[in-house]
Amino acid sequence: MTRLPDTAAAPPGVAAASTRSRRLTVGAWLEQERVFRWIPLIPVQLLLLALLAVPFALTIYISLLRWRLTLGFWTAAPFGGLSNFVDALTDEVFLFSIVRTFTFAASAVTAELLLGFGLALLTYKSFRGRRFYLTVFLIPMMIIPVVVGYDFSMLLIDTGPLNHALSRLTGQEVRIRWMSEYRAAQVAVVLADIWQWTPLTFLIFVSGLSALPPEPIRAAQVMGASRWQVFRYVQLPLLKPVIMIALVVRSMEALKIFDIPMLLTQGGPGNATETLSIFLWRNAWVFNKVSYAAAASVLLLVLFSVVIFASIRLLQRERAALEAERVPAR
Amino acid sequence: MSRRRRRRLAAALRHAALLAWTLVVLFPVFWMVLTSFKDSGDWVSWPTRWWPWVDFQPTLFNYRQIFHFGTTGELRREYAEQAYNIWKGIADSALIVTIASVASLLLGSALAYAISRFRVGGRNYAYTILTVRMLPPIVVAVPMLIYYTSIPVFFANLLNVRLEFFDTYYGIILLYLTTTLPYVIWMMLAFIDEVPRELEHAARVMGAGRFTIVRKVVFPLVASGMVVTLMFVFILNWSEFLLALTLSQPKVLTLPVLLNKFQSAVEGRLYGPQAAIGTVVTIPVVILGFVIQKHLVKGFSFGMIRR
Repeated sequence: MTRLPDTAAAPPGVAAASTRSRRLTVGAWLEQERVFRWIPLIPVQLLLLALLAVPFALTIYISLLRWRLTLGFWTAAPFGGLSNFVDALTDEVFLFSIVRTFTFAASAVTAELLLGFGLALLTYKSFRGRRFYLTVFLIPMMIIPVVVGYDFSMLLIDTGPLNHALSRLTGQEVRIRWMSEYRAAQVAVVLADIWQWTPLTFLIFVSGLSALPPEPIRAAQVMGASRWQVFRYVQLPLLKPVIMIALVVRSMEALKIFDIPMLLTQGGPGNATETLSIFLWRNAWVFNKVSYAAAASVLLLVLFSVVIFASIRLLQRERAALEAERVPAR
Repeated sequence: MSRRRRRRLAAALRHAALLAWTLVVLFPVFWMVLTSFKDSGDWVSWPTRWWPWVDFQPTLFNYRQIFHFGTTGELRREYAEQAYNIWKGIADSALIVTIASVASLLLGSALAYAISRFRVGGRNYAYTILTVRMLPPIVVAVPMLIYYTSIPVFFANLLNVRLEFFDTYYGIILLYLTTTLPYVIWMMLAFIDEVPRELEHAARVMGAGRFTIVRKVVFPLVASGMVVTLMFVFILNWSEFLLALTLSQPKVLTLPVLLNKFQSAVEGRLYGPQAAIGTVVTIPVVILGFVIQKHLVKGFSFGMIRR
């Protein structure tokens, strides 16, 4: 930013006042641009360094040790080299929890995108009762994931309302053991996640649809396009950046999932709902294998960096596309 | 005529679909509230009891229990002391979440302003910070535990002072503050970028100092954006579970941890009191959500779409 001369277009009296205030006080020193610009950076940088960089360095170091929580303080633990990494890469439970987490994320996010998009299409134009739906649909997002886990554990007990409703509908006694059967537990976690996070995709799509420029749509209508053609060839391409944003935001969150399966099934039965977060949790705090968990975290860090890097590139590109698209519309 | 009828049919179908989803959304909430008024015999009975006063007699028993208005002999005293002290959970959560959210809002907004106006660190810095938030919190939780428990030892050896971070208020506040900073920076950057620089130039020309400009020109224009950001961060912190579970308790006990403790402490789930706590925890956030709902939609389209 170029520095503006203080007296450029100001009336003489004001300029004089500004010169007078420039005595050598702490305030004046802070207001110099070369000082002022760096002030906000310092506390943030210190915090990030102390609370994120140091622990990361510590993880890498600890992953090289052979330390368990039961072995006393970590400074006394023997050096283990890369053995933890070798163990992790040959551990079936770890590898399968990666596959499981990605499968879970893929199925939940797909359902959330489709549902959210459908609901947004039905509600983005104004009609009677729209505000009611907008308000109600956002409720699940505001409920704490821990409470959602609880809530679904109440809904899904063998003698719960869901089984009862299913029994009524099918006319025979349905007793799906949602939390103690392998597949059913996985479905239950996905259902809870869909219930909680469809509102977010819905919110993103509603704001995206209502922010679309009206000109291209009207132009297409004038040219005689049917409603489906308008949607397929005008609205959908214009919305692509928004869809990408929703996809990236939701995938990142879905891959981290911890609270819901932890409260609903504790990762069980067996390893059925053991996501990566729960795998690490179990190893560090249930089995006390902290060094092993640290090594797995480092591997995850690498894996996630790839995913994050790709998604940020995607976001940056779509953001640029959004901005380019917005200019002619103004 | 037929066109009108078709439009009516479409409207009816739309409402049917939307009402169906409304049912899906509201049912779990309804069930939680319903269970919170059930007595122990009615939690898991088959066939399921749906209607108060018809199928079962509603009772305030669960609420009385969790708020300590006369604990009955059904629960052992240790649970009454630890898991049932919901007042401590509410107070701790409110204190920690408020301080952490406000502090991170102030620090993050300041940095967002610097990034937007002076290119401190550049746009890439904002992106890099955002990646921190994308990592699963468990990856931070394992080293944080070790780190927090090592700090007292480190300082005791070095300076002969004891600085506890594990299970202290400032320990968890600092961590929450740091983990939400990326979101604040990111959202505030979008809002601050929208403030025209000409206004600031004009104020400078009129002789206003930097701090005056920020206080009197920039701040009023981004105030509503700051409210949205604050609410977003507040909800994030309010529902945070994993880090609190790892790094606090029993001295510091936030509500999600309290809920979890409650579950693991009692053999055989106590659905009624659980539902009561869940309802109590949910109500303030949902009210908050209704209050800011309009701003939330606006803030979203502003932050995500317009940027």
